[in-house]
Amino acid sequence: MDPFIFFALLQDGITTGAIYLLLAIGLLIVFSATRVIFVPQGDLLAFGALTAAGLQSGHVPATLWLLDGLSAAALLASLTGGVRAAGRALLVWGVYPAVVSLASVWLARREIPAVSILLALAIVTPMGPLIWRFAYRPMADASVLALLILSMALHFVLIGLGLVFFGPEEASVPALSTANFTIGALDISGQSLCVLGAAVALVVGLGWFFGATVQGKALRAAASDPLGARLVGIDAGATGSLAFGLAAFIAALAGVLIGALTPLSYDAGFEIGLKGFVAAIMGGLVSYPMAAAGALLVGVLESLGSFWASAYREVIVFTLLIPVLLWLSLRRGSDEDRA
Amino acid sequence: MKPWLAVAATVAALGIVPALLPAFYVTLFGYVGLASLVALGLVLLTGISGQTSFGQASFVGLAAYATTLLTKFAGAPPIAGLVVGLAVTGSVAWLLGLITARLSGHFLALVSVAWGISFFSLFGTIPLLRGFNGIGGIPPLTLGALSAANPRVNLAVIWAVVAAIMLLSANLLDSRIGRAIRTLNGARLMGESVGIDTARLSRAVFVIAALYAGLAGFLFAHFQRFISPTPFSLGASIDYLFMVIIGGAAFLWGAPVGAILVVVLRDQFNDWIPRLTGQPGDYEALVFSLVVILLLQRAPGGLMPLLLRLRPRKRPDVAAETASDATPALSIAPTGAPTGAPTGAPTAAAGAPGPELLAVESVTRHFGGLAANQDVSFAVRAGEIVALIGPNGAGKTTLFNVISGVLPPSAGRVRLFGTAGGHLAPRRIAALGLARTFQHVKLLGGRSVLENVALGAHASGRAGVLRCMLRLDRKEERRILADARAQATLVGLGDVLDRPAGDLPLGQQRVVEIARALCLRPRLLLLDEPAAGLRLQEKQRLALLLGQLRAEGMGVLLVEHDMDFVMQLADRVVVMDFGQKISEGLPAQVQADPLVREAYLGSVA
Amino acid sequence: MKARLFAIATVAGLLVGAGLAQAQIKIGAILSISGPGAGMGNGYKGAFDFFPKEIAGQKVEYIVRDDGTDASNAYTIAQKMITEDHVDAFIGPSLTASDAAVAPLADKAKVPMIAMAPYEYDPHKQPYVFNDAQPLSLMVAKVFKYMQQHGVKTVGFIGFSDGWGDAVLAATKTAAAADGIRILDDERYARTDTSVDAQVLRLMSRHPQAVMMGNSATPAALPVVALRRRGYRGGIYGNHGIVSPAFIKVGGAAVEGVIADTSPLVVYKQLPAGNVVKPVATAFMQEYTKKFGPQSVNPFAGYSYDAMLLLKNAIPQALKVAKPGTVQFREALRAALEKTHELVGVSGVYNMTPDNHNGQDSRAAVLVEVKHGAWREIH
Repeated sequence: MDPFIFFALLQDGITTGAIYLLLAIGLLIVFSATRVIFVPQGDLLAFGALTAAGLQSGHVPATLWLLDGLSAAALLASLTGGVRAAGRALLVWGVYPAVVSLASVWLARREIPAVSILLALAIVTPMGPLIWRFAYRPMADASVLALLILSMALHFVLIGLGLVFFGPEEASVPALSTANFTIGALDISGQSLCVLGAAVALVVGLGWFFGATVQGKALRAAASDPLGARLVGIDAGATGSLAFGLAAFIAALAGVLIGALTPLSYDAGFEIGLKGFVAAIMGGLVSYPMAAAGALLVGVLESLGSFWASAYREVIVFTLLIPVLLWLSLRRGSDEDRA
Repeated sequence: MKPWLAVAATVAALGIVPALLPAFYVTLFGYVGLASLVALGLVLLTGISGQTSFGQASFVGLAAYATTLLTKFAGAPPIAGLVVGLAVTGSVAWLLGLITARLSGHFLALVSVAWGISFFSLFGTIPLLRGFNGIGGIPPLTLGALSAANPRVNLAVIWAVVAAIMLLSANLLDSRIGRAIRTLNGARLMGESVGIDTARLSRAVFVIAALYAGLAGFLFAHFQRFISPTPFSLGASIDYLFMVIIGGAAFLWGAPVGAILVVVLRDQFNDWIPRLTGQPGDYEALVFSLVVILLLQRAPGGLMPLLLRLRPRKRPDVAAETASDATPALSIAPTGAPTGAPTGAPTAAAGAPGPELLAVESVTRHFGGLAANQDVSFAVRAGEIVALIGPNGAGKTTLFNVISGVLPPSAGRVRLFGTAGGHLAPRRIAALGLARTFQHVKLLGGRSVLENVALGAHASGRAGVLRCMLRLDRKEERRILADARAQATLVGLGDVLDRPAGDLPLGQQRVVEIARALCLRPRLLLLDEPAAGLRLQEKQRLALLLGQLRAEGMGVLLVEHDMDFVMQLADRVVVMDFGQKISEGLPAQVQADPLVREAYLGSVA
Repeated sequence: MKARLFAIATVAGLLVGAGLAQAQIKIGAILSISGPGAGMGNGYKGAFDFFPKEIAGQKVEYIVRDDGTDASNAYTIAQKMITEDHVDAFIGPSLTASDAAVAPLADKAKVPMIAMAPYEYDPHKQPYVFNDAQPLSLMVAKVFKYMQQHGVKTVGFIGFSDGWGDAVLAATKTAAAADGIRILDDERYARTDTSVDAQVLRLMSRHPQAVMMGNSATPAALPVVALRRRGYRGGIYGNHGIVSPAFIKVGGAAVEGVIADTSPLVVYKQLPAGNVVKPVATAFMQEYTKKFGPQSVNPFAGYSYDAMLLLKNAIPQALKVAKPGTVQFREALRAALEKTHELVGVSGVYNMTPDNHNGQDSRAAVLVEVKHGAWREIH
């Protein structure tokens, strides 16, 4: 392998690693706040990318109607909860979808890349809280395993919807940057820099959010001590909603970023999401820095692995888990007895 | 329901049903049978032992490809394919189990996703396996002149295997090993405390589940006679899990019920949804998954509990249950000293303390920077009751965990029964003759009191998985159950033997733990707050029992907050505060110790 | 539980009985409508909207099912269609792997099957199996002839890591040897991969003059995009599996100049006036695009349509022998299919013989190039 190829692969690996990092962060946020292993996050990634691609080719994407339908259902469900709750719900599940819908219908025809991407984020982000509301919250007290199985079923639902909404073909998202920089013999694509920039911005933003805002602190409290958080009046429903909202936003963001690097189909998100998992598991499902290191390792290993043995790339990435788990299990020992 | 009766009915059905079914349903129910096999493994794994695998389909695939390679390309007889297929599947599962056995449930599940994808990817890329084009023309199973090329014969073969596996699994669950397996589901610490090697056992369950899947894979290859990677994908693994969840993960019958529902539902959806929507391919998976989600939300225990409720069944034990509800068992007058009590382990001279059983020597235990125990030393001798007291957070339970081997000490040592005092795993310590109860009661809530108590006799049995499956353990099992019954009766649980332990009031549950501990025939008994939640009469009765055990030469170390109970019963008292021993002596001496008064008054206020 | 099982069986039996009572022609179609092959599957599926409801006075029922791009699924569905639906013929499967799985079943049950993916088999061993997609050898030879004429001496191969990639590579080797072109590299990737940069970099490090692709549908755009992004300037060639508007939509500007072989159907408007296929293809595609939009032109719909034309041509002769739903009818149908002579379809002209169950010739292949965002014929 000559250095040119090596650096090209390295750049590729770091870029995809940054995507995995984003997903790993989303997974950790949701898992720590709600004990849900959010498998469908990868599918929301595909939703984000394909919604942006749809808007960019002048269509009003069907995800918008899903948002409207689920929002209406949430609005109806909130009517039983008293006047104040209904008022708030009207704002969140009535006014917001209406605004986004009007904006999408009106702006889709113009095909402006930045607008398509922003609208895609606006459409996909609320799906997080809506999924939480209708799928997970009815069985929020179930075991981690039951929730995981629910996640798997939900993944198939989203895949099914994806096929109906977007059809089987792949689509590309407009790139935020088509620039190319050359440093010596190295080509660096502007889109790669965008991905890295977005990852860094997100990490910094989340750091601020968890450290300085009331909602962020509440989310952290709920993660470290769910019972205590409930006792001091932190609403489990609200923290769940927030965590899923963040995860959906992150997924959609990752989708519009990676969708510009490679065409995505309705079912492409799952595998990308799984690699985010591999990273999150490397952090023991608790540590953000470890997960970040894991994400970059997965990205680079995958990139180099596909050069040496492309057919066995998946095997290489997932086999990576074995030494990590051995180490984890030796370090942690048995921890099953948490009823 | 008697398992053998169900099996007899199944065998009869095996002769009749395949002959009557329309051709396609012969094929369909063949798939149901194969799926049931995999699902049965998942019931043991998920429903009973609380682990989950999203990789079962890859085990099916391993065995299927193994037998295909051997029989089609090497011309070996199918029996060789079966043996090799199961050997490969079993060893791979054993290795994976070795890696993941110590991790908690959701890690195993996530890792199983990883190997599910890896194996699927390997099936698709290894050139020998012909990738996604698959391999056709696999020879059918033959027995002399009898060929199972006929799908109806195949169906009978498959369901005969299913019936046999159901029977073996039912046998396994109703045995010493079966009880032990149930402790894997959230009560491993307790399992270890009665001498169960939980890591090894969970690996065994994992291998059993994989072997069931491998058996299905072998039959699949010779039944369909065409294999390609897709039936062994992650999606297929998830389908098996859906079957178990839908059918009822805690029931063996949940496996075939779930398999029938999932296979038939999917087939019907594939037929009807295109007719309704005019669009084949777009909605089937979507509708199916929505149904699964609704079931998960509405019937988390699966359909078996609902089916069981539908069954009009006479319950002869109802009267007995209501009777015992009315009169709590422990308030009945004590049975008195039973003659020939089966607790007599070592016989020391009654009344006088015997040899030293436990020596805690300068034990220190840190958690991060926090010292939960600091340089603690004391001893317990045969035939005495030592109480360990102290305010909340004094480090008593930590010390208990260090003594029973759950935690290694950071410094110092624990010498049990005169051993050198290296750190031993809880189950080794249990084997030496130490039994314990838990501050937060650890019982199999859904199982009977008798079964819970019998867990204590686990280490006295020898029957392994195979013997239990084949019912060769009956003599030993009778002895274990008789032993358990005797111990339970001794502590006054004789009237509630058949009730689910979780239905008893908390005080009685503590007594069940004590009976379980006694089943170990310990020389030293560690009791963590045995009197908490007991009523006055019950406490008196417990005191009587402990006194009697002391008289028989047993050493008892107990943590207790009830001062009256402690002061009446204990021979010596050890007082701890902030992780340190602040006082030790006779009850009266300790009560007079100003340090003790300060510790209690200072913290209680 | 057994009682319930028995009840299900009884009900099912009644349903099957009811199905048998109607005398009509039943045609089973197994298509890959979801999963990785879905991009092509939709084309195959679309053509069914234009199939006749009656042939030679007999009602025809088309049972279309999705195999999810999964050969095992296709196998199960085919079993059901044979034993429960009692189909008289199969159209498809549309996936090479599914064809391989279903062909032995169809042959054993004596159900004529018209495979719609380039699938090689021996008509003497499987006399009930036909194929209406152009054989790869025919198509790839056309591409290499073009390369040779344009001075290409070395090619690198990149294709799917599955049966399709293998098949195209095999045809590539034959054609390259015939035309004196050297194959420098063989790179593979999976249909579901999201990045092929590593393979592309390795391919480029061998400096081939041109690249031949053994992939299909929209995932075929991935290596083209990567090659162009990495600055590869040589010619990029493909097989007929890539020719669809979706390929251009996904690949964008990067796929300009890609050359591939395809059915005449795809460039029906540009065919010369004397071409025999032109009127049939034009009539079909005009209807098809009226329903699915001008961007929907694809060769796969043509294979479904030709399968129907082949059956429509053979059914009247089979009806003279026996009633639909009988083995005699299927035997006669097979015999009639084998005698197909100069049948003009939308993808080519068919002349079947006992030795050749495809029967296409060079009239079934044209070369096309992506120019200004559309496939255009080149001569």
